[in-house]
Amino acid sequence: MDSIWYKILGVVVSFILAFIVGMTYMGLSRKIIARVQNRKGPPFYQNFIDAMKLYSKSTAIHHGLMQHLGPAFIMVSSIMTLMIVPVLNDGKWFPNLNFDGDLIFLLYIMVFGPLGMALGAGQTGNPNSAIGVTRGLSQMVGFEIPWVMALVALMMQFKTTSIVDLMEVQAQSGTWLMFSSPFAFIAAVLAMLGMFRYSPFDIVGAPTELASGPVSENGGKYLFTLMSSGAVFAFAKLTLYVDLFMGGADNLIVLLLKTFAIYLIPMLYGVVSPRYRTEQAIRYFWGWPTFFGLLAILHAVFF
Amino acid sequence: MDMIYLIFLIFLSGAVISWLAGKVNHVLQDILFLASVIVPSVLFYMNVSVGQEVHFKAGGIDLSWGITDFGWIFSLIVLGLGVLAAIYSVGFMKGKERRGYFYFNYVLSIMSMLGILFSKDFVSFFIFWEIMTWSSYLMVIYNGKHTQSIGIKYFIFSAIGAYAMLMAIVISHSVTGNFMIADLITAYPVLSFNLQLLIPILLLVGFGVKAALMPLHVWAPGAYSNSPMAYTSVFSGALSKMGVYGLSIVMLSMISHLPEGFWFREVLAWMGAITAAIGTLWAVKQDDAKKLLAYSSVAQLGYIVTGIAIGTELSILAGLFLAVMHAIFKSTLFMAVGAIERQTGTTNFTEVTGLIRKMPWTFLASLMSIIALAGIPPLGGFVGKWMLYESLITSDHYMLIILVFFSSTAAFLYCYKFLFGFFLGQEEKEWAHVKEAPVLMVIPMLVLAGLSFVLGTFPGLILKPIDAGMQALGFAPTNQHLWDTSILFNSWGNQVALQPILYAILGIFVVFTIFLTIKGYKNTRYVTTKDISSSGEVPKEHENLTFSINFFQPFMRAVEPVMRRQIDKYYNGFANGLEALFDFTRKIYTGNGQTYAIYVILFLIIMLLIKNNVFG
Repeated sequence: MDSIWYKILGVVVSFILAFIVGMTYMGLSRKIIARVQNRKGPPFYQNFIDAMKLYSKSTAIHHGLMQHLGPAFIMVSSIMTLMIVPVLNDGKWFPNLNFDGDLIFLLYIMVFGPLGMALGAGQTGNPNSAIGVTRGLSQMVGFEIPWVMALVALMMQFKTTSIVDLMEVQAQSGTWLMFSSPFAFIAAVLAMLGMFRYSPFDIVGAPTELASGPVSENGGKYLFTLMSSGAVFAFAKLTLYVDLFMGGADNLIVLLLKTFAIYLIPMLYGVVSPRYRTEQAIRYFWGWPTFFGLLAILHAVFF
Repeated sequence: MDMIYLIFLIFLSGAVISWLAGKVNHVLQDILFLASVIVPSVLFYMNVSVGQEVHFKAGGIDLSWGITDFGWIFSLIVLGLGVLAAIYSVGFMKGKERRGYFYFNYVLSIMSMLGILFSKDFVSFFIFWEIMTWSSYLMVIYNGKHTQSIGIKYFIFSAIGAYAMLMAIVISHSVTGNFMIADLITAYPVLSFNLQLLIPILLLVGFGVKAALMPLHVWAPGAYSNSPMAYTSVFSGALSKMGVYGLSIVMLSMISHLPEGFWFREVLAWMGAITAAIGTLWAVKQDDAKKLLAYSSVAQLGYIVTGIAIGTELSILAGLFLAVMHAIFKSTLFMAVGAIERQTGTTNFTEVTGLIRKMPWTFLASLMSIIALAGIPPLGGFVGKWMLYESLITSDHYMLIILVFFSSTAAFLYCYKFLFGFFLGQEEKEWAHVKEAPVLMVIPMLVLAGLSFVLGTFPGLILKPIDAGMQALGFAPTNQHLWDTSILFNSWGNQVALQPILYAILGIFVVFTIFLTIKGYKNTRYVTTKDISSSGEVPKEHENLTFSINFFQPFMRAVEPVMRRQIDKYYNGFANGLEALFDFTRKIYTGNGQTYAIYVILFLIIMLLIKNNVFG
């Protein structure tokens, strides 16, 4: 059973699941944001329609090899993240590589894609793309600090760097880590605000300001790949949060409920917030989130 | 004659001959230069085994040369990089002036570095160290620019380091009665506490200067960027590692015997991490590629020092692995900058853009090295970073890891700036004529880039000699429980298996490349970087859309309070203070005979008063 084909099948299945769930969540978020702003909003399946349209379009132009490969780079990062994060508590249905990488590896593979994408965006020569990339990288330096602090606190407390082990800890003690390590959870959630790039941290795409930033100049299949990568990545990150702080999930229904609950946080925070300037965003993450990160580490060391 | 003498003899005569041959024929000069680097390197790996020693007497002092397992790791850096950079140099120096001068100093540098690794006594160590300083100093002032500001600064710091080292050597001689390094290490644990503290500090000042450790790093950005790039790749890649070599020996075989060594190690580890953070922030700010890479070297050496200072098995593995990796990727990047400088005449990001289609191989090599530098899997930098983080976590350095992580995340910023500034962005007509660098320059870059790819998946290739070196310094073998050929472990038993990861990454990448390319790349047509949808308007030919000035302005605004302080300012303040003092002495020594006459009379009067007990 443990053959290479079984694993590849697992990856394909998890990919399709992540694609569908991620796309649905993105559609739901559009609907919810619209309702908050007292608009009707598109139907929740609008994103599937968009994706199909983009996929079926043929592309006429490209800006060179790097731009052509940019979406493939970001896809590598999204799927690798998905492959390292255990989808359900027993790995049977979605076998992946989670025994071959740990949290530190995950931190690094998560930035592989954005950097590859940044190169693709750079080659188009659109100044808005490059400005978006510089903003994105700057913001990343901001939110990675509390995020790493939260992870370091968990890793120190339980003497492991493996996601599976951290899930094991929760299964054995019966408490979710969001309750037993509350400060780490707060720091991680605040860092997540930047990770999901809803406002006030939507400075990378920045509608009406940067004209969608790095993804401009991409159309047709390129944009389709970028979009599906975004959906997969969002699902993988949400699953990671559920695995780390909410004890993972035993079946798909629970997984969907938990991931959607987490997903609501950055979305609802974003609906009512105007956009930050880049330096404000960075300093935001180095303020309270970092403070909670410090508390988390102190908590992990002394308790 | 022993092979060891022969190696040094070939180096020495090769340096002189390849200088003089320039008067006869340039091709002959190039061949002789390559031979004088390659032949001794081949002889070294063919005929010199670890543990082989030669002894001789010079001036009544016993001298002894031989290579240890630990030195052997560094010999890989020195000679491997030395040979590749020598091939690159031939391409780089073609048509340039003063090639003999360059070749002479280059060969001497390589020789002196190998000599440092061979030295088993302090006298030859110090002599080789000084040859290294001198030859690198002559390279720094090669182009004759900024000899005052940059050359003198480098020299002053090297001199401070050398004097500190000399004092340590003299003290050690007074303790042990001879100049053998091994004797000092044996005698160290029973020394008085003051000496136990003084000797390592003096030595660390000497090594810290070369390793560009904060606050001794201020010479590095200028010196790295002012030497010819062909040499800077060796300067930053190998020469700075000599500091690391010395520092590791001091830390691992002396400080570890000290009961108070813990604090020593902590302080050094923090200095390394702060060096990394400050170096990274300054690298992000630079608009000149040479300066950017120079500050980045300072930062990367900070990680290495941190790893070695922590002193656990995993952290030392990490530090030494990062040292090898840094030699590989940073020298490639300096070579790429040299290639761009040669082809375009500038290294400023605000001037040159859009070279990706003109210099694709240089871009490929830079891309690989940048990925390795950023520590992104599956390239070699990741292995080192992973081991460093794991060693910091497992040894409870929770604040240090945040600082290290901050600087390595901020490093993405200058990584992107390097690639975007040179290769991506708008293609300007001004640079339409640029062609790829000569083959002799491209091949060494690609070889090094390929190496960092191989080491990313099979780090065991280089961890094996590192392990042997650590065993020579008295550590337990680390194979199987911390690393295997392509698997890494931490001391809690967590692992990263690099082969499945590489195959997964390649698999996904290939699948999606095919997906994008089918009915894609072939049928689409390439459009220039002016043909873009900038907010729905098509930009005109003459419109300037290049984005390179104030590249990371928002980030710089966010970190502005940190950047306000500069260690250089303190040094300058100190120098100004000294100058004021000298000015003041100038008021006393006026050069006027009559003033001196008054001094004599005043002195006599004071003496008379004292004699007559006026004051008493």
